Amino acid sequence: MRTSYSAHQRERLADASPALKMTAGRVRFVLLMLGMLFLALIGRAIYLQVVQQDFLQGQGEARFRRAMTLEANRGVITDRNGEPLAISSPVQTIWASPADMEPVPPAKLRDLGKLLDMAPEELATKLSDRKKEFVYIKRQINPEVADKVIALGIPGIAKQQEYRRFYPAGEIISHIIGFTGVDGKGQEGVELAREKMLSGKDGRRVVIKDRRGHIIEDVAAIEPPRDGQTLALAVDHRIQYLAYREIKAAVEENKAKAGSVVVLDAKTGELLALANYPSFNPNNRVGTTPEMLRNRAVIDLFEPGSTMKPLSISLALEHGKANVNTVLDTHSYMIGPATIRDVSAQPSLNILGIIQKSSNVGTSKLALLSSPQDFWTYYDSLGFGRAPNTGFPGEAAGRLRDWKNWRPIEQATMSFGYGVSVSLLQMARAYTIFTNDGVMLPISLYKTSTPMPGKRVLSEKTAHEMHDLLVANSEPGGGAVGGRIIGYSIGGKSGTARKLEGRTYVANKHRALFMGFAPGKNPKLIVAVMIDEPTAGKYYGGAISAPVFSQVAGGALRVLNVQPDEPSNNSLLPDSTPVPADF
Amino acid sequence: MIVHSARRYTAIKPFDEALAWALALLLSISLVMVYSASIAYAEADAATQNRYFYLIRHVIFMVIGLSASYILFQVPTRIWQKYAGKLFLLGIVLLVLVLVPGIGRVVNGSRRWINLLVLNLQPSEIMKFATVIYAADYTVRKTHKLHSLKEGFAPMFAAMVAVAFLLLREPDFGALMVVMSIAMGVLFLGGINMRIFSGLAVMAAVAIVLLIISSPYRLKRVLGFMDPWDDPYGKGYQLSHSLIAIGRGEWYGVGLGSSIEKLFYLPEAHTDFIMAVISEEFGFVGICVVIGLYAWIVRRAFHIGVESKKLERFFQALVAQGLGIWLGIQVFFNIGVNMGLLPTKGLTLPLMSFGGSAMLMNLIAMAVLLRVDYENRRIMRGYKV
Repeated sequence: MRTSYSAHQRERLADASPALKMTAGRVRFVLLMLGMLFLALIGRAIYLQVVQQDFLQGQGEARFRRAMTLEANRGVITDRNGEPLAISSPVQTIWASPADMEPVPPAKLRDLGKLLDMAPEELATKLSDRKKEFVYIKRQINPEVADKVIALGIPGIAKQQEYRRFYPAGEIISHIIGFTGVDGKGQEGVELAREKMLSGKDGRRVVIKDRRGHIIEDVAAIEPPRDGQTLALAVDHRIQYLAYREIKAAVEENKAKAGSVVVLDAKTGELLALANYPSFNPNNRVGTTPEMLRNRAVIDLFEPGSTMKPLSISLALEHGKANVNTVLDTHSYMIGPATIRDVSAQPSLNILGIIQKSSNVGTSKLALLSSPQDFWTYYDSLGFGRAPNTGFPGEAAGRLRDWKNWRPIEQATMSFGYGVSVSLLQMARAYTIFTNDGVMLPISLYKTSTPMPGKRVLSEKTAHEMHDLLVANSEPGGGAVGGRIIGYSIGGKSGTARKLEGRTYVANKHRALFMGFAPGKNPKLIVAVMIDEPTAGKYYGGAISAPVFSQVAGGALRVLNVQPDEPSNNSLLPDSTPVPADF
Repeated sequence: MIVHSARRYTAIKPFDEALAWALALLLSISLVMVYSASIAYAEADAATQNRYFYLIRHVIFMVIGLSASYILFQVPTRIWQKYAGKLFLLGIVLLVLVLVPGIGRVVNGSRRWINLLVLNLQPSEIMKFATVIYAADYTVRKTHKLHSLKEGFAPMFAAMVAVAFLLLREPDFGALMVVMSIAMGVLFLGGINMRIFSGLAVMAAVAIVLLIISSPYRLKRVLGFMDPWDDPYGKGYQLSHSLIAIGRGEWYGVGLGSSIEKLFYLPEAHTDFIMAVISEEFGFVGICVVIGLYAWIVRRAFHIGVESKKLERFFQALVAQGLGIWLGIQVFFNIGVNMGLLPTKGLTLPLMSFGGSAMLMNLIAMAVLLRVDYENRRIMRGYKV
């Protein structure tokens, strides 16, 4: 073999042997150097894995560990019959982490845009900030659409379950129910009032996630969410529907600014319906104005005018200052510089006449038979000047001034509903004394199996007398004939209040009111109607609010299958209804 | 006496079985860890969509590499010596080719790969091997002139400057560091004059510092490595996640397959940063086993070199030790990068990381090492090689 080497190679081998140093020292030196480098690695490993362990693991946890909220399902709000009025339906929100995404191919972006009904350019903009790790693409979409989006398989795009509040009855009951905000918390109405009960308690889950958001494992025990409770309102959605339909029609027909209806159960104080117009659609609040949001029946205060008269008159009967047969001189008279006069002046009237003719003179004379303190105490016990404590957010208390500062003229005007401000809800509640043997009932927003005990305001005797007087007021010749219902007797009192602008009462702005109960003989319902600033010509409560009462109360009684207490030919033809003079 | 000779006989195996076993063990760990580190990426990536994507390719590269090693193991080492110059020239040509747009493929801003359909050839990997062979041959050829600056040192210096120029064009600073270490190491072992060597070492150090400062790209990388927590979501992103992975490993690791960092947090988990995944899953114990195996192989390479020298096979001695330096230095660089001791370089962990060219060349290098030892054993038993 060796002989076959070339001359060059032979020479090289010969040369190499003696001179190439390759000393053991140099070999050991290089090996030692490499060994030290390896030892440096081991040392560094110990430093990182033992000394820096806590810091590095903490940094790691900050990146992988995520606390997730398990959203509790918000409780359903139903009416008294279990009809859902507010429900939370599961929806999906599509979000993305642009930091984890490769550029999305245009075709996929188009598909995504088509599914989400968004322009591809809009999507591209949302995904453009590659530093962001969380961007909402579209919130609250149909779960089926969300599944299709995920099926596109675009890395970095994920879905997240949320709940969306849905109100099947929409604007019809929106003032009672209110609504929730984007954060799912109640902002108005019952949604706000019973937030705690409805919202339940969110659960919590601590997980380790990979960088693309997939959960790898749980690192703590899961706290399951506790769903909100179902809340049954006292409202009957059928009556509510009727009330809303009628007040809406009346406001539109009379070109009024607004209107409200309150329907109470005459025996339990439960709120069966409460409607205002204008109203708003809680499912889509775009374009909703503060005017539409106002729950006028609860938060608006006004002077009730003549509808106050039955209440003030009952005090004189209760205290024995007068009885149903008392006849009063009803000529105009002076209190100090002010003259009290009636629209249709009568020389004299008995108690029924005072109610039928809505006599200011008669009413004020009866009121002045009581001391200011008694009078104040009586109004106070009717709840005027105090918030009714129904739980509605923003309830108005009204204004009842201290009796010590009253002048006689003030006691006189308060007796016929001026100088005292109340809400429609307070008025409706005050009328429960006439349907419940003199006991005023607290208003219940929620369905109750055992009605809350009321507070006696009048003796049974006075209450029955007043009840009968109000029923008589609906007979021909009375002021409440406009509220009559086919097949049922009723009791009631209309009122037309001039509105105060600044410090003077203006002649062309009115509030048309009607307070009543039905059926007359064994009242089941109290219906209070208020129409604000009718401008289509008619403005008397007996002319425009009474028909609303008739429609709502009549419809409600039929809905509730209440036995008619009158023959079905009991109605008066509208044209024969005399327009009452009810100032 | 009979018993004794029998023991002696069994002691001299035809080749270094222990080295072969150590290599087999490393390759086995590599298979498991490449799969473990790549599984999430492979499954989720739209381009692969198959959890075995990287494992399958890794196995194919290994089979190709082992086949090539088996064939090249049959080649006597004097053939390498004979073609040392041509091999080095081939390396230079490939380094030039890779810079030609259209031939060289750019990944992450570096033009390092030539696409050969089945695999992306990385010329710098071939250059590392060629440098070992060339430096060993050069040193043997110039033995008498190694004290002379002009005749002994200048030609090698010129060749290295050419290689450095080409590698910096890609750029591939990591490969340059490895090549330089091999060349200087072999010259040093071959007995180069200490004064020349010291001068060279100082010059190299100055050059490296100048190179780092001159390039904003390299300076950024260096600064990023100094304090990854300064900008953990930007420049320090990769390193901070590598450090987190190592820190999570503690003594015994989180267990095979349980790494969280490999779940899209740590980029290049199955290539340059596979050591971070090994550290997370097997902890300090895992690091020690892997580093121990490399250290043992490096020691074996140097030992084989010493044996060769005893047999006056100087070329083979320098080849064996040059391969040892290559392996040792690259392991240090790679793990050093993983642990934040060194700036990011883009070097694989030899015999461990996913990557075709690197695996192929590392396996060929080990085949040559085994061949040197095989020839030593044959000569000791009186055979010719």
